[in-house]
Amino acid sequence: MRAIFKIALGIIAAIGGFLDIGDLVFTTQAGALFRYDLLWAVVLGVVGIAVYAEMSGRVAAVSGRPVFDVIRMRLGFGMGLVALVASTFVNLLTLAAELGGIAIVLELLFDAPYSMFVVTGAVALVGIVALLPFGGIERFFGYGGLLLLVVVATVYHQDPNWGDVAHGFVPTLDSSALYLYFVVGVFAAALMPYEVHFYSSGAIEEGWSEQNLKENRLNAIVGYGIGGILSVALVIASGYLFHPLGVEPNDLGTVALPMQGAFGETGLLLALGGMLFCVGGAAIDSSFAASYNLAQFLGWEWGRYQGPRRAPRFTASWLVFLLLGIAIAQSGINPVEITEYSVVFSVVALPLTYLPVLLIAGDRSFMADYANGRVATTLGWLYFGVIVVLAAAAIPLLLVTNAGGG
Amino acid sequence: MKGEGEIYVVHRLLDEQICDSEGRRVGRVDDVELRGDPPRVTALLVGEGLYPRRLPRRLARLVRRISGPERWGGNALRIPWEEVDELTSTVKLRKKAEDLGLGMGDDPERWMVRRLPWN
Repeated sequence: MRAIFKIALGIIAAIGGFLDIGDLVFTTQAGALFRYDLLWAVVLGVVGIAVYAEMSGRVAAVSGRPVFDVIRMRLGFGMGLVALVASTFVNLLTLAAELGGIAIVLELLFDAPYSMFVVTGAVALVGIVALLPFGGIERFFGYGGLLLLVVVATVYHQDPNWGDVAHGFVPTLDSSALYLYFVVGVFAAALMPYEVHFYSSGAIEEGWSEQNLKENRLNAIVGYGIGGILSVALVIASGYLFHPLGVEPNDLGTVALPMQGAFGETGLLLALGGMLFCVGGAAIDSSFAASYNLAQFLGWEWGRYQGPRRAPRFTASWLVFLLLGIAIAQSGINPVEITEYSVVFSVVALPLTYLPVLLIAGDRSFMADYANGRVATTLGWLYFGVIVVLAAAAIPLLLVTNAGGG
Repeated sequence: MKGEGEIYVVHRLLDEQICDSEGRRVGRVDDVELRGDPPRVTALLVGEGLYPRRLPRRLARLVRRISGPERWGGNALRIPWEEVDELTSTVKLRKKAEDLGLGMGDDPERWMVRRLPWN
């Protein structure tokens, strides 16, 4: 009974921690521009992250190896180094975007200037990391993120034409570059590389073994599955409200407006609160991911569970990444823009993130009986194909559409 | 090492995580030394000074600027194969990191984070 309870708590945290600033920005914009037409791309992304999170969690639990632990062994040193540089760059951009997101939400909540809150937010994150053990950090942000369930309530309240909504789940290929750009964006926002870096290293932090495989599967399928409903709801809520008006949301505050429309100030506060936990949690995840990758690639001792004294280089690098993130967030670039760039560049880094996971998860010499079965192998390679195509298309689309600006 | 035998060096040994006798992560197998005929692994080579030799020429030049040239005993260390205790999901050594000159684990960097409150 206690075991079931513990697993349930983990799943709930996975639901609340599913969204980050990339999801918030891209789903809201996708809804405003294309109403429900991109819902299928959201589902495609959610299934993708569930497949790869399950795989990377299973590899970590069985072989004790997170993603960057095996990257050199499977890609070779040179390609591994390229993957390290690329993913560090993307993780830093993501971190900066999340820090900027924290600051914007705080700005909206407390009506004080943005620049003050970037540093305040980062200091608060360090405080939370100092106070809570690893599992506690995840749950703190995961449970807080559940405030965003108000988006689901909003959709029910709006009561859109459900036939139109259902239609959005059928893939349609509009040939306009802007549409394709948002297909890439919505998909990629769900599959940000830091998520599997963090998830698989987190499995080691929590001391997972074969006994946690069921927990891993439920986290990925149920946790991320229900988390994905939040993404779907964001598209619908935004499509319902903004699409008929022709509004194009360019700041993070717009994300919360449908909830205000439905439930007044309570709705707005719940939405902003939920967003704060989501971007805060993602700031932790992406900054940790950057340090995990560096330490694992170079063979350093790592982990929050070790404490700074036993893992000094890991901890110091985390603080440096945090400072760099602050610097980028403070540079005056609109955090929504940083978000878009971080998501689109992450697509380019995705093949290098997911190929080693796929190779090691199918390798019986590492995984024995826990290697990928037929379903995971098929889905894994299918998604890898999709990722490679999108990676090739991402940058051209970014340039052609002027980063979604049309 | 216990149970000497054949392994796929590149598949199983190269780039693998190294842990010392206390289980601390202390580096990776950045290269291996092979001797004899048929060749046998006689040592693990560890250190950032070895990175350039793993890279194509242009990239190597760039990395060498950061790592410096190979200095044996400095940024490039030789761990004799006899010091390897076991190959599991890591390469486990028989001794503590400092006894093998492996930069004492992370110890030299400890001053940076010594005062952080979550130790």
